[in-house]
Amino acid sequence: MAEFEPKIIAFCCNWCTYAAADIAGTSRIHYPANVRIVRVMCSGTVDPIYILRAFEMGADGVLVAGCHEADCHYLNGPLKCDAMFEKIKKMVNTLGLEGERLRREMIAAAEAPIFAHVIEEMVEQLKKLGPSPLREGVKV
Amino acid sequence: MNLEDIINKTKTYYCLECGKCTAVCPVSRHNSNFSPRLMLERALMDSEGELIHDRELFSCLTCYACSHLCPSEVDYPVFTQKVRSLASSQGEHGDCAHSGTLLSLMRLMSRPNIKQRRLDWLDGCHTSEKSEILYFVGCAPYFEPIFEDIEVSPVNVARNSIRILNALGIEPMLLPNERCCGHDLLWTGDVETFKKLAQFNAEMIKESGAKKIVFSCPEGYRTFKIDYPQYVKLDCEPVHITELLAQNLSKLSLRPRAKREGSNPEVKKVTYQDPCRLGRHLGIYEPPRELIKAIPGIKLVEMEHSGDESICCGTSVWTNCSSCSKEIRIERLSEAKATGAELMITACPKCQIHFKCAMVDKGAEKGADVKMEVMDLVNLVANAMETQE
Amino acid sequence: MEDIRTGVYICHCGLNIAGTVDVEEVANYAGTLPAVVVARHYHYMCSDPGQALIKDDIKNLGVNRVVVASCSPRMHEPTFRRACQDAGLNPYLFEHANIREHCSWVHDDKRLATEKAKDLVRAAVRRVSFHEPLEIKERPLNPNVLVVGGGIAGIQAALDIANGEHRVYLVEKEPAIGGHMAQLDRTFPTLDCSECILTPKMTEVGQHPFITLLAYSEVEEVVGSVGNFKVRVKKKARYVDEEKCTGCGVCEEKCPWKVDSEFEMGLGKRGVVYVPFAQAIPHVATIDKEHCVYFLKGKCRACQKFCDAKAIDFEQKDEIVELEVGSIILTTGYDIFDTRRIQQYGYGKYDNILTGLEFERMTCAAGPTEGKVLLKNGQQPGSVAIIHCVGSRDENYHEYCSRVCCMYALKYAHLIKELTKAEVYQMYIDMRCFGEGFEEFYRRVCDEGVNFIRGKVAKVTDVALTEDEQGRLIVAAEDTLLGRMIRVPVDMVILCPALEPRSDADGIAKLFTINRRADGFFMERHVKLDPVATATEGVFIAGCCEGPKDIPDTVAQASAAAAKALSVISRGRVVIEPTTAQVNEVLCQACGRCEEICDFHAPKIISKDGLRVSSVDAALCKGCGACAVVCPTGAMSVRHSTREQIKGMVEALLEV
Ligand SMILES: Cc1cc2nc3c(=O)[nH]c(=O)nc-3n(C[C@H](O)[C@H](O)[C@H](O)COP(=O)(O)OP(=O)(O)OC[C@H]3O[C@@H](n4cnc5c(N)ncnc54)[C@H](O)[C@@H]3O)c2cc1C
Ligand code: SF4
Ligand code: SF4
Ligand code: SF4
Ligand code: SF4
Ligand code: FES
Repeated sequence: MAEFEPKIIAFCCNWCTYAAADIAGTSRIHYPANVRIVRVMCSGTVDPIYILRAFEMGADGVLVAGCHEADCHYLNGPLKCDAMFEKIKKMVNTLGLEGERLRREMIAAAEAPIFAHVIEEMVEQLKKLGPSPLREGVKV
Repeated sequence: MNLEDIINKTKTYYCLECGKCTAVCPVSRHNSNFSPRLMLERALMDSEGELIHDRELFSCLTCYACSHLCPSEVDYPVFTQKVRSLASSQGEHGDCAHSGTLLSLMRLMSRPNIKQRRLDWLDGCHTSEKSEILYFVGCAPYFEPIFEDIEVSPVNVARNSIRILNALGIEPMLLPNERCCGHDLLWTGDVETFKKLAQFNAEMIKESGAKKIVFSCPEGYRTFKIDYPQYVKLDCEPVHITELLAQNLSKLSLRPRAKREGSNPEVKKVTYQDPCRLGRHLGIYEPPRELIKAIPGIKLVEMEHSGDESICCGTSVWTNCSSCSKEIRIERLSEAKATGAELMITACPKCQIHFKCAMVDKGAEKGADVKMEVMDLVNLVANAMETQE
Repeated sequence: MEDIRTGVYICHCGLNIAGTVDVEEVANYAGTLPAVVVARHYHYMCSDPGQALIKDDIKNLGVNRVVVASCSPRMHEPTFRRACQDAGLNPYLFEHANIREHCSWVHDDKRLATEKAKDLVRAAVRRVSFHEPLEIKERPLNPNVLVVGGGIAGIQAALDIANGEHRVYLVEKEPAIGGHMAQLDRTFPTLDCSECILTPKMTEVGQHPFITLLAYSEVEEVVGSVGNFKVRVKKKARYVDEEKCTGCGVCEEKCPWKVDSEFEMGLGKRGVVYVPFAQAIPHVATIDKEHCVYFLKGKCRACQKFCDAKAIDFEQKDEIVELEVGSIILTTGYDIFDTRRIQQYGYGKYDNILTGLEFERMTCAAGPTEGKVLLKNGQQPGSVAIIHCVGSRDENYHEYCSRVCCMYALKYAHLIKELTKAEVYQMYIDMRCFGEGFEEFYRRVCDEGVNFIRGKVAKVTDVALTEDEQGRLIVAAEDTLLGRMIRVPVDMVILCPALEPRSDADGIAKLFTINRRADGFFMERHVKLDPVATATEGVFIAGCCEGPKDIPDTVAQASAAAAKALSVISRGRVVIEPTTAQVNEVLCQACGRCEEICDFHAPKIISKDGLRVSSVDAALCKGCGACAVVCPTGAMSVRHSTREQIKGMVEALLEV
C-alpha cells in the first residue's frame, strides 16, 4: 500500500513568508511536495472560513504564516492574525482536530530554510497522524 | 422536489394576493426589495430559473409572522425552505454572515470520523452516563469563541440548564459526540448534510436509550419535533426546558438575590422576547412567562408586539444579515426599552447573540442608543435559584 | 453576464520548469478545465514572443481571463499584467501561478511536481474566474501644506516647502514662533548662540511670500484625507490688531501690572500686555486676558491710551480660519518633565535648584540676570552640581533616554567654568556623547577640570551633617565607580529634566488620526524605513514630537518631512490604487468594527441617505484586509482579494 501523503494548505503573506518560499526556490532548498501555497496580502487577512474550508475540502493540515510582528507591511497584521487564530483554534479543537494540523508561524523573507523546515516537520507529523478526521468519508 | 411540487405542498396556489403577509413581514418593512406575496406570485408565474438566483430568497427569517395571518394557510417559510434547497443545489447560498464560518462548522459536524471535544465546560454540573433524560447541548461550544467579543456565553446557558435540571433531581445524560441538529443547514437548503446529521443524532440517541430530550435551544427543539420525524425515526420525546420547568415550578423555590443579602428586594422590570421557533412555530408562549412571573422581585412587562405578534430578532441561519436586519433589531430593542424594562429576556441563544450584536457601535460617531441587557431565561432562573444555596 | 474565456500559458523557463514539470501534460490538463478556451506551453513566456501569444489570443480568440504559470508573481506579475493591458484587457483579469520557485525548483520528483503544477494552475484558473476589472483612479489634490508647531522643526519644514514655492500655513499656538530653541542660550557642541542662528530663520518665516503664519492659533478640526484635508483653525484673540501693531513695546512699558514671564521661565517678569521676547515673530503684542485688569475689573486701558498705532482692540473676538491643504506636518515638540514630581530632589522646596531651561535663561546675555550665574542672594556660586537623567531612564517616570541632557549638561559645565570660578560636579549614569563633535566636546570639558561622579542621585537636602555642609545643598549619591555613598555640598543644583510628550499629545493624535507609541510620542510608520511618515497617509511628523532629539536631528527630520510632503503634493493628484476595501451597503450594519481595527483610519461610519454605513477612503486604505476579517456580515471585502477568490483557490486546490 502506498504511503499516506498528507495535503497541506499554506496561507502565506505576500511580503514575508511567500517571499521566503520564493527564496527557498531560488536557493533550491528542497521540501516535500505536499504543500500548496495560497498567497494572501497579509497574515491579518486570513479569514477563519479559509481554514475551515480547507479542512472541509480534505486538507490534512493548514499553515498560516506571515511576517514577524515588527515586519508587517501593514503594521499590526500579525497581531490581528493571532487573535483570529486563537478563535479558530478553539473551534477546530472542539471538532476534535489534533493540534498539529493547524499551525501558525512567523517566517521572514530571509528565513527560507525555516520555511522548508516547517513544511518538512508538518509532513512528518501528519504522516504519523494519518488523514484528517474532518475529511469526508475516509475510514480510519 | 421541483418548483411545482413545492407549490403544491405549500398550498402556494391558494394565495389570494391579499398582501397580509407583506404587511406584517418585518423584512418587508425595512427592505423594499422583499415581499413574500411577490415571491409567491413570481413562483407561480416565473420560470424557476430566476427566482432561485434572487438574493432576497435568503432574506426571509422564516419567522412565521406571515403564515400566521394568511387566510389561505399558505406556508411561506416552508416554501422558502424548499426553494432554497433548489437554489442551494445550484450553488446559491445568499450572503453568509461571519463568512460562513458557522455553517462550515455545522457541515464539519457531519463528518463520520470526528471525535469532538465539546464537553469541557461542565464544571459543577452533574451528569450521568445512563439516564432516561438527555440534554441536547447544541452548538453552544462552537458559538462560544465566536461571540466572546459581544459578551454572550451560550455555554453558560447550557451549564445553567444542567444545574437547573440537577436542582430538579435530574442528572441528564449528554452525547459526547453530539452533532449539530442541522437546523441552519436545512433552512439554508443543504438538505443532504441535514439528513446526515439527523441520522448520526438519531443513531446515537437510540443507542443511549434516552426517553426524553431536553433543549434549551428552540431551534434544536423545533428541528427534533417537527423536522426529524420526516427523515429519521426517533423513539423519544423532545421538550423545551421552559415547558419542563413550568411544570415543576413548585420544586424550584425561586427567590430574588437581594432577599438573601438581607436588603429589601427592588422590583426589577423585565420584558420577554418570544423566539419565533418557540412561539409561532410551536405555540409555546405561556410556559416562559409563567417561569418569569414565578420569580419574586421580577415584574414582566410586555412589549407592544408580543406573543404571536412578536417580532423576530432579525437574522436567521447566519444568512443575509444586513442593514435591514439591524433595523429590525433596533425597532425591537426600542420597543423593549419603551416598556421601561431593564432587561430583555429571551429563550434562544441566537436571539441574544443577534440583539447584543446590534448594540456594537465601535465607530467614532455613535448611532441610536439601543443598549440594554439581554439575558437567557435559563440564566435568569439559575440566578434566582443560586440564592437558596 | 459575459462568458468567461480563459487562456492558460505554461512556461518552460528553459529547463528551469520543463526539467522537472511535464509542461505539456500540464497544458493539456489545463485545456480540460472549465471556461478554458486555450492552453499553451512555451519556452519563455516573459519574452516578447511569449507575451505575443497572450496578446494574440486576447485579440483573436476573445480570451478575457489570462493565467500564466511560470515564475513568482513577485517577479513577473507586472510584466504579464502589462501584456494584457497592451492587448486591451484589464490587467486585473490576470492571475499568476508560481510553478518555478514554489514547484520545479523545490521538488525533484517529476510526477509529484507535475501534479502540483496542475493543482496550482487549476487554482489560478478558478481564482481568475472571480476577478473583476479594476481601475486606478485619480483625485485632484490641493498643493498647500499645513505645518503645526512653530519650533525649529516647524520653521525648517515650512521654509523648505515654501522655498519650493508651495503655500505653507504655519500654525503656532503661542503668541510667537521659535519654540524651545528660542529660549536656549548657546547650543552644544559648537556653542553658537541659539538666537543668532534662529532669528534669521524666524524672520524669513515672517516675511516669506509663500508662508502664511497663524500664530496664537490652534487647529480645531481636521476632515478629509491625503490630498484634500479641510482644517479649521482658531485664531485666538490677542486684543491687539496684528496689522496695526508695530511691536514698539510702549504698551508693555505702560502696563502697570507685571506677571512671571513664561519665556524667562519665571526668572523674569513681563507686562500683562507683552511681546514675549525681543526677536519674537510675529513681532506684535498680545494681551494676556487672564491677568488683564481691564478684563477682570473693567478698568485700566493704560495700554490703549499710549498706543500710537491704535492697535489695542478690547472687542477683538476669536476668529475661525478654514484651510484646505494636501498634506500635513506635525512639529509640536515636547514638554519638560515636572521636576517637582521627584520630591527627593527638592525642586521648589529649596532655593538655588534650577532646571536646565531656567539655567539657559540665566546664562543668556539678554536674560533676567544678563548672563550672570547668580545665587538667590546675588552672589556667584562656589560649587554647582548638575544632576542628569531627572525623569529619564527611570522606570518610575520615563524609561527612555532624553538624548540631549548629557550634552547640555557638559555645555553648562563649560559655561560655569567660563563665567565663574565654581567647582562643577556632573552626577551622571552614563555619558552619552554620540553625535558629531560630541565626544570631542566631552574631552574638552573633562580637561577643564570638571568632576564626573557616576551614580544616580538619591536626594538633595539642606540637612547638614558636617560643618562644611552647613547652609549648603547636599547632593547624596552612590558613586558606583567607587562603590560607596558620597555627599557633595554645593551652592547650586541644576536638574536635567526629561523631554516628554506634550500634555495634549493624545488630543492632537486623535485630531490628526495618528497613533502614539507606548512612551507617548507620536508613532512613525516604520521605525527604520519610514521614520517621518505616520499610519495616516499624508500626515508626517518631525522634531521632538516624535521623540527627544537635538537640534541637528530635529532639522534633518524636518527637512525629511518637508521632502515627503513635497513628494505627495508635487504629484499634482492623488493616485488611488484599486486594490482597496469596499463596503456592500446592503449588508453593512454600521457596527464600526472595521473602523476600529484599521490602522490606517480608512473606514469611517457615515450617514448616507439616512442610513448609517461604513465608507472606506480609498486614498487611505492599504488593502491589508484586516477589516474584512472582523466584519461580521460580509459587508466589507477587499478588491482583488475577495473571499470568493481566496476560498475559490482553496477549494480548487483540494478538489481532486
Ligand atoms: C534645557 C535644554 C537644553 C537644550 N540644549 C540644546 C542644545 O544646546 N543643542 C541642541 O541641539 N539641542 C538642545 N536642546 C534640544 C532642543 O530644544 C530641541 O531639539 C528642539 O527645540 C526641538 O525642536 P521642536 O521644534 O521639535 O520642538 P519645540 O521647540 O518644542 O517646538 C514646538 C513648537 O510647537 C508649538 N506647539 C506645540 N503644540 C502645538 C499645537 N497643538 N498647535 C500649535 N503649535 C503647537 C510650541 O508652542 C512650539 O513653538 C535642549 C533642550 C533642553 C530641554
Ligand atoms: S417568515 Fe417572517 S421574514 Fe419570512 S416572509 Fe414571513 S414574515 Fe417575512
Ligand atoms: S446579528 Fe447575528 S448573524 Fe448578524 S452579524 Fe451579528 S451575530 Fe452575526
Ligand atoms: S483593507 Fe486594511 S487598510 Fe484598507 S480599510 Fe481595511 S483594514 Fe484598513
Ligand atoms: S464591520 Fe462590516 S458591518 Fe460593521 S461597520 Fe464595518 S463594514 Fe459595516
Ligand atoms: S504583511 Fe506579512 S503579515 Fe502583514
